Amino acid sequence: MPTITIDNQRVTVPEGTNVLEAAKKLGIVIPHFCYHEALGAVGACRLCAMTFLEGSDKGPKLKGVHMSCMVTARDGMVVSTLDEESADLRRHVIEWLMMNHPHDCPVCDEGGECQLQDMTVAGGHGIRRYRGLKKTYVNQDLGPFISHEMNRCIQCYRCVRTYQDYCGGTDFGVLGCNQRIYFGRFRDGTLQSPFSGNIVDACPTGVFTDRTYRFRARPWDLEEAPSVCPHCSLGCAVIPGARYRELQRVRAGVNAKTNGFFICDQGRFGYGHANRPDRPRSPRLGEREVSWPEALGALRRELEIIIAEHGSQAVAFLGSSRASLESNAQLLELARFFGSENFALEIDPERDRAARTTAALLGECARSQEEVRRSDFVLLVGADPLNEGPMMALAVRQAVRAGGSAALIDPRPVELPFAATHLPLSPQNLPEVLKALAEERFERFSARERTVLAGISARIKEAKRPVLIGGGNLLGSSGAQLLIEAARAFSRGDRACGAALLLAGPNSFGSALLAAQSPGPDRLLAQMQEGRIRALLCLESDPFADHPEPGRARMALSRLKLLAALDYLPTETARRCDIFLPTTAPAESAGTYVNFEGRMLPFGSVFDPGVPIQITGGGDHPPRSFEAHTPGSLPRPAWAALAALRGDSLSLAHIRRNLQRSDARFAGLAELEEGGEGRRVNGAGQMPGHGPELPKHPSAEGALRLVVTECLFGSETIASFSPVLDPVRPAPVVRLHVEDGVRLGIHDGEKVRLRTELGDLAVEVRLCEAMAPGIVVLPRLRQGEWEIFVPGVHRDCILQKEGG
Amino acid sequence: MNVWRDIKGTVQPFWVTLRNMFRRPVTIQYPEEKRVPPPRYRARIILTRDPDGGERCVACYLCSAACPVDCISMQSAEAPDGRRYAAWFRINFSRCIYCGLCAEACPTWAIQMSPDYEFSKYATLDMVYEKEDLLVDHGGKDNEYNYYRHAGIGVVNPRGGNEDEAPPVDVRTNLP
Repeated sequence: MPTITIDNQRVTVPEGTNVLEAAKKLGIVIPHFCYHEALGAVGACRLCAMTFLEGSDKGPKLKGVHMSCMVTARDGMVVSTLDEESADLRRHVIEWLMMNHPHDCPVCDEGGECQLQDMTVAGGHGIRRYRGLKKTYVNQDLGPFISHEMNRCIQCYRCVRTYQDYCGGTDFGVLGCNQRIYFGRFRDGTLQSPFSGNIVDACPTGVFTDRTYRFRARPWDLEEAPSVCPHCSLGCAVIPGARYRELQRVRAGVNAKTNGFFICDQGRFGYGHANRPDRPRSPRLGEREVSWPEALGALRRELEIIIAEHGSQAVAFLGSSRASLESNAQLLELARFFGSENFALEIDPERDRAARTTAALLGECARSQEEVRRSDFVLLVGADPLNEGPMMALAVRQAVRAGGSAALIDPRPVELPFAATHLPLSPQNLPEVLKALAEERFERFSARERTVLAGISARIKEAKRPVLIGGGNLLGSSGAQLLIEAARAFSRGDRACGAALLLAGPNSFGSALLAAQSPGPDRLLAQMQEGRIRALLCLESDPFADHPEPGRARMALSRLKLLAALDYLPTETARRCDIFLPTTAPAESAGTYVNFEGRMLPFGSVFDPGVPIQITGGGDHPPRSFEAHTPGSLPRPAWAALAALRGDSLSLAHIRRNLQRSDARFAGLAELEEGGEGRRVNGAGQMPGHGPELPKHPSAEGALRLVVTECLFGSETIASFSPVLDPVRPAPVVRLHVEDGVRLGIHDGEKVRLRTELGDLAVEVRLCEAMAPGIVVLPRLRQGEWEIFVPGVHRDCILQKEGG
Repeated sequence: MNVWRDIKGTVQPFWVTLRNMFRRPVTIQYPEEKRVPPPRYRARIILTRDPDGGERCVACYLCSAACPVDCISMQSAEAPDGRRYAAWFRINFSRCIYCGLCAEACPTWAIQMSPDYEFSKYATLDMVYEKEDLLVDHGGKDNEYNYYRHAGIGVVNPRGGNEDEAPPVDVRTNLP
């Protein structure tokens, strides 16, 4: 722990800290562009110069002006930031950086949050002295998300270091030499990395700006609040920005325990759901729009009539992993109020069981994204992080970059932004392989598989901080249990092996903790079919679209006497229900998500709901009228609506306090700070009952197992309602092993018929080698007829050549 | 003595009145007669045009940020040629205090104060001016300036075509 002196103040910093960070610790802010905590130092911008008065006690003597980001703090160093020589250099560097700048701040979206602007003003450089010509560049079209304006570049290399080094993108880099350094692609085209949006945050000036937010607002006009990304179970910190009642952009927040500094493009550009013109914003009885008191009164009356006629078990409550912890807790409170034991907090039975198993068993095995970044061996089993939790892929990439290694056991052809050994095993073998790894018995596998598995097993044992990562969709409940048991088996003595499971929604873990007494969605559906449940209240859940057996779900729902829904998306359930109550979108209300590792992450409300001015004004100026009410401001937070249904009015703080008082697992929830690091839950959930086993062998001759897998920009509910993502929706193609292709006579790119018990589907086939034979990999898409296939392994299918 | 003071106090005002009866009046008979205010007089705000006839306003939001009474609101948008412009621009003159900070903040000479001080309406809403009410067909106090001829992002001129710019570099050349 070296102690150094900066501007006559002594500071002790951890080994390996650079002088710039040490100064920051003292509260001395030295301007810098190229240094970034997550990207490290390169010394390219020459702005963080400090004068070194005394070198270190040991090692080479360092004196004079040096770049503080490039100097590691050593004991005995004496540094001055106020010295005339370095201050003068910094002043000049700013002036040089501005030499070729186009001076177009009024039309630049970065204006107002531009580091270059701040530094120039702070450096006192106001009048341009250089009279020569400015260097110019031709811009590139970088796709629907990123705008490019190369003239503004100051060559700090942050974009390349973010895109290539941190995020593992390969199609963007630095070109040219000499005075012609250029940051872009070899050719115009959409940036391929699913983390491309991060270069907007990383760029200290306006070279890369958010194209979806182009010329929309200024940062000082935006309403912003620390929030949590609602698109997957990782719980990354985000800062949404809204203006004129419209969610206009999302930028990455900073949470050292989860995402660090960056987020994925789904989290960044999946914000359009809150602004949709067809978003339901009024309470409804059938087709009739009514006031809140009328809707709440009618719903309560209807429920009471059904309870009076059929008993309290005739009403059921369905929560979801997309609703906050508080909303789900209030739903349970409501079920208790009506005396009903019939509730579930996830509609997909297998996802429900997987999440509940994880919540019950994970315990001290849980690993955060930060711990994955610092691990030295990561084994992914049935997990496709790029599609099921994109930032997890980056976390593993950082582990690999730091000298660790990674392996993957998965039936699907999984793309990863890092090098990993891939062992494609069929989905029904995944639980077996976990058992075999824990017991180190590989006899059942082929010679090649045995070698790979023995290698993986050896690497887990050698590693100091190994982590096993599974995917809830493919592993299911039994697989999740085996994964955590395997992690326990590999832990010994001082060395613990961690586990992480990628779950379905932002609050899957939290819902699973609350769902201890739930009979499960399967029982609910069965009782609905039998006619014993007469009323169903859905909280931000869409049983029409998300049940693996859509036919059965539809039949059961059609038998209901009353279907009520609370939602902020125009889902099928919201359209077809008898009573509808509009709720606020995640950015419009405060709440808490419990992420995949059981970390409680509270988030704040960014803006109040209302029809965007863009819509009320029809693109032109807002209507010239005075009104007492904001149009479309009726949505209420789900927890408030559910409390009101009981005749109660509770504040969020009150709900949190009640929750932590009644359940010790949520201790500390009320004291957590929005935008803070969050806190792991204090205890576990309860194991669910076992689900039905899938038959080991295909149902019919020539049948293939259908593996429905989540895909980025296409599967997630909230993102699927965001028009901003429309240009990058994944193509509807299925993937098939080359051997199966040869056996069935199907060529790459051929159109065939996919036949399942759910009906026929015309699909295009891609042949792949890096996947398990005997399966068809189908992406979960939420558009059109593909929507009936929900993620997981639920059934077999037959591929039939067109006309054959 | 008190008697003399009282007499003076009684007579003097009559004398002042009598004297002023024969002076020329300073009152202007508004509205029949109008004064010409100086050119830098701060009254009704206008949005000017550049010498090429284009709207000068780039909707940078600096005027609305500078406005101490929050009477300016706008929405910026992008024209097909890449030009940033105001999709709508609204000044609530019933709130405006004519301080001129908006004109001072404007980087493109778009928003300017005009000497048009005759400004009253029967309805408050008529004081809310939209972009079409604010736009004028001249350059105001400066008829020469075109912002885009100085900002190097190539909207009016091709990229690298401004006076102080070199043509775009060839990234792929190896020559020094």
